[in-house]
Amino acid sequence: MLSIIDTMSTINVIFESTSHRERAAWLHLVAMTISYGPYFTLMSLDPPTAPLPDLRTMSAFAATVVVQIIVLAVGHAWLALARPAEAKAPADERDRAVELRSMKIAYLVLITGMIMVGVVMPFSSSGWKLINSAIGAIVLAEVVHYGLVIWSYRRGWSA
Amino acid sequence: MPSPTSERRITNEIRTLRFLNGEMTQAELGERIGLTRQSVAAIEAGKYSPSLEAAFRIAEVFGKRVDEVFHWENDAYS
Repeated sequence: MLSIIDTMSTINVIFESTSHRERAAWLHLVAMTISYGPYFTLMSLDPPTAPLPDLRTMSAFAATVVVQIIVLAVGHAWLALARPAEAKAPADERDRAVELRSMKIAYLVLITGMIMVGVVMPFSSSGWKLINSAIGAIVLAEVVHYGLVIWSYRRGWSA
Repeated sequence: MPSPTSERRITNEIRTLRFLNGEMTQAELGERIGLTRQSVAAIEAGKYSPSLEAAFRIAEVFGKRVDEVFHWENDAYS
């Protein structure tokens, strides 16, 4: 019983000290870890060898996307129910500044990944290796994006 | 001689001014200037430098000039 109260109290403290957008960024990081973590672990332990489209790998990717969508949907619903006013509030200038900077840096990661996958890798790779590298670049860019959002809210940010 | 600008921080008197204005909460101040409570807290703690517009709005709420609310650290607050 006490641990439930402690947990609720901890959640309340976290909610008090974080903005809705920071909580959402944490949620996106958790959703990506839960979904793409097992996917890339599976792909590295048992790389796809069958020719495209390879239904087994396609199914694994489809399951990954479904898990990500479910975690995000449930998480966003919970965040909105916990603090409805904060969830509905429009982004203020700090939120926009944090988002802009995080997106700018994540874009550099994404464009670098896409150049590697679309220009460099086709000379030596093909099939799911290429596709997974593209997915990996997108996931990495998203991790950088949400990681920077959290870092900016936590550590502060000046223009 | 003042140190180079990059080494100096801007600090503010928002906490004091909130106290002097009937313990105005961060949420109340945020509502009046169009910022979230967390953004007001970040400005107050020096973790975020507000836009010039927001700085003017904050000063206006307290009936002060901008330089009475925001100033270089260690500069005398007049």
